[in-house]
Amino acid sequence: MSQWLTQVIDDAKRVDDFLAPMRQQALSKLQTQGWPHARSEEWRLTPLTSIKERTVEASSVAVNYIVPQIKGLNPIDLVFVDGVLVTNLNDIRLPTGLSVHALSDAPSAAQTKITALFGHVKPTRHVFGLVNDAICQQGIYIEVDENCSIDTPLRIVNLATKDCDAHTRALVNLGKNSQLKVIEHGSGSAASFTTAFAEYAIGQEARLEHYRFAFFTGAAKQVGGSHFSLQDKANLNSTLVAYGSELSRLDVDIIHAGEHANAKMNAIYLLAEGEFFDLHSTIEHAMPNGTTEENARGIIGDRARAVFSGRIHIHRDAQKTLAELNNRNLLLSRRAMINTKPELEIYADDVKCAHGATVAEIEEQALYYLLSRGIKRSKALVMLNFGFIQELVNDIDNENIRTWLSPMLSERFASMEVK
Amino acid sequence: MLKINNLHASVEDKVILTGLNLEVKPGEVHAIMGPNGAGKSTLGYVLSGRDGYEVQQGDVSFKGEDLFEMDIEERASNGLFLAFQYPVEIPGVSNMEFMKESVNATREQRGEERLSATEFLKKAKEACNQVQLPLDFLKRGVNEGFSGGEKKRNEIMQMILLQPSLCILDESDSGLDVDALQVVANGVNSQRDSTRSFIIITHYQRLLDYIKPDFVHILADGKIVKTGDASLALRIEKEGYAFLGKEYEGASA
Repeated sequence: MSQWLTQVIDDAKRVDDFLAPMRQQALSKLQTQGWPHARSEEWRLTPLTSIKERTVEASSVAVNYIVPQIKGLNPIDLVFVDGVLVTNLNDIRLPTGLSVHALSDAPSAAQTKITALFGHVKPTRHVFGLVNDAICQQGIYIEVDENCSIDTPLRIVNLATKDCDAHTRALVNLGKNSQLKVIEHGSGSAASFTTAFAEYAIGQEARLEHYRFAFFTGAAKQVGGSHFSLQDKANLNSTLVAYGSELSRLDVDIIHAGEHANAKMNAIYLLAEGEFFDLHSTIEHAMPNGTTEENARGIIGDRARAVFSGRIHIHRDAQKTLAELNNRNLLLSRRAMINTKPELEIYADDVKCAHGATVAEIEEQALYYLLSRGIKRSKALVMLNFGFIQELVNDIDNENIRTWLSPMLSERFASMEVK
Repeated sequence: MLKINNLHASVEDKVILTGLNLEVKPGEVHAIMGPNGAGKSTLGYVLSGRDGYEVQQGDVSFKGEDLFEMDIEERASNGLFLAFQYPVEIPGVSNMEFMKESVNATREQRGEERLSATEFLKKAKEACNQVQLPLDFLKRGVNEGFSGGEKKRNEIMQMILLQPSLCILDESDSGLDVDALQVVANGVNSQRDSTRSFIIITHYQRLLDYIKPDFVHILADGKIVKTGDASLALRIEKEGYAFLGKEYEGASA
């Protein structure tokens, strides 16, 4: 067992609220499962030692923090600093059809819906999912009424400003034929540990435009996830952008729970020297006629390491599924590393699926050609190697997000050294 | 412009240049001829700074400065241009984007303003017309799917746009038919003036029918063994390099 987990379990036992039955369940699973074995398939590539031996640092309200801005976006911001919700929900003017409640302050009608959603989108919880289930008291519940289309984007911000354990949760319910844009924005470099999980129930014919920015760097450790369930004809368009830190891991799960649902997910990771990032994605096609298109692309700097595990599971009844999964990587040095594992598991006989993974290095001849025409090395590298990342950036629907991300990512890439 | 003094260079531990001397003054056109494996292309690569080409001995000054102190891109933005014998294909980077960045990098080096997209487009179209390439070549990936001749014209187009002070043409005539050869030659001749210098590396006299050199050098065994005027190229055309053997042997005997 890990000293950190033992302490977390002790602390979680004292939590008492309307989620008690679920918390109890999570606790007993944590006690039976314990700390993941070093060779467990799920965790063997993720460096967990720093968490295992960590001492729990309780979160407290931070005084000084800066919320990163995305120019022109003007979202409704829900801000967690070091795991504490600092936004006063009473101060927010919400558009008609959208409601937001803090978990700690949810009216009883909302409590019922939260209970139905909590931990249900992805029933198989890994250790940190269970920890979050058991202990997280800071969270929000978001609901869009049927037939409502919310134009203003909602942004859930997680900031890590000091050494503490931060556990936050977002539960999002999209009513039938509704539309919503959600940005999960994590940022910070302080030595800390964040678990931020979000669950989305996307109703019939509803559309979710989703972004997750995992910009935790340096000593800011995080394990989190975004889980989606799609009802009939629901539509998900998700873009994930990640940097790396000492430990950064995200699990994205998309469950086709209804027929004719469409999911598109693009992931970009840009790892500077020595950083680590781990993306585990699972797509469950449980029902027929669904489509999934997943593209994960990354650039990995010197001594940095990325893990990509992408699994598409097509159940026996999920006939006429169209699923594509692709992972492309560029290594900037001999000491950069990617562990990539695209997996297809198909039990239906009438489906169209494809998957692939590539790993490339810098093209020396092409680089020389550009340099010999006076183009600066950093610029030449961006021109030669950033195209495949830029493609995914260009694919982003929201113009403000595109305009904000594009120069930020190319600058980060330009500052990464090729060795 | 360029002064090469006793240059020794090797690639992958194989010694290629063995004491090469050459001086090129502003406005001069020098042709370098010589048998296969003499080190002609190596000279171009060493001057441009390609990785893997090691200089063992000697020095090169370019516009009065030590060339070997400059990075590849500095040499280029300072006005050294090498037209490649086999230009590389770079799918994913458009010819236009590539040339715009290249021209602007050179302009910045000279302390000039970057060109706007519209200003650049105008210049690029002119250059494209001059080398008789269809305009859609600007939009295509750099050299992507270009024929041998189209690649050579693309090199000349870059030369015209970059306005370098020293142009090294590495077998820009090889594999060209007469029409294409004339396009390349006209491109070069249009850039000749009293300040711009050229080093033309070629196997054949025929390019020199169109571009009149001031000097013709013969490069053999890693050094220049004979220098003359345009008539030397004609002699090679007639007699091949056979005469060299005796003369060279005689010289070293």
